Amino acid sequence: MEAFDKLPAEINHLVAEFSSIPVIGTLTLGLTQYTFWLLISAVLTLVVVFAYSKRAALVPHGIFPNIMETAINFVSRDMGQQIIGPTWREHFPFLASIFFFILINNLVGVIPGMKPGTGTISTTAALALVSFVYFVAVGIKRHGFVGYAKSLAPSGVMFPLNLLIWFIELISLILRPITLAVRLFCNMFAGHIVMGSFALMVSLFAEPLLHELTASGVLGALPAVGFAAILLVIYAIEIFVACVQAYVFTVLVSVYIQGVEAEGH
Amino acid sequence: MGVIGYGLGVIGAGLAIGISAYGATQAMARQPEIQDRAFTVFIMGAAFAEALALIGFVVTLVVR
Repeated sequence: MEAFDKLPAEINHLVAEFSSIPVIGTLTLGLTQYTFWLLISAVLTLVVVFAYSKRAALVPHGIFPNIMETAINFVSRDMGQQIIGPTWREHFPFLASIFFFILINNLVGVIPGMKPGTGTISTTAALALVSFVYFVAVGIKRHGFVGYAKSLAPSGVMFPLNLLIWFIELISLILRPITLAVRLFCNMFAGHIVMGSFALMVSLFAEPLLHELTASGVLGALPAVGFAAILLVIYAIEIFVACVQAYVFTVLVSVYIQGVEAEGH
Repeated sequence: MGVIGYGLGVIGAGLAIGISAYGATQAMARQPEIQDRAFTVFIMGAAFAEALALIGFVVTLVVR
């Protein structure tokens, strides 16, 4: 199969295309293709949210207000009331903005020709750091600095073990933003690479047909149909993953907030 | 070689997602009232396990 022989080089090319390339300026100071789409989806988020706030009503009419209402209910009920508990209203603005920002970023990336703003580690790291600072700040506000530091270790453990558990909890606290960032980045990056490789397979198998149309050429291009079908399925899965990853990120942040809100654990 | 390594990494994630689906279906069968909650927890567990496989995939591609 000569189509498979060409694949590794094409995939290298694909991966190179998915790393940050500056569109304006340089890598240190400038706009990469990811930042470009990030800015566009940030504007899109604002437009969507403000358009909804204009049309918000007690009884929503039409498709758009109903979708937004469902999404907002989802954040406030599933993440706010169920996980955080009575003080959810205080954290709702933060959770909702993180959720909508990530969701719209991911969904913009699924559209062919566009890149997800969350497809680079720097964006997700920034989001994770903001959340980390947020829930640590909530903990310090609730318990005071010393109280928060103490509340990392569960109360009621004997003295020497106490210190060990505190140390382990500290490491897990530091690992939280890293796992948040890496999870979102890897999901978006890998999903797009997989979609890209199946699109490459389709084009590699169908390419001989463009040069000359023969019966054997058509027979050789048949696998392209199968790969196109797989590509469609993966595309649908990617749309699902875009929503699930926004959900997982926000749920984890609310779980962490709940952890610092609770009176010791 | 990198592709083989990725295949090895996927075994673990596949097992993990299978186990979490097993637990979720069993919990739903025993207690149909918690279906929503169990599904949420299942999706989250699957997302965690999947993230590990994806880390392997990305490392395969990025670090050569």
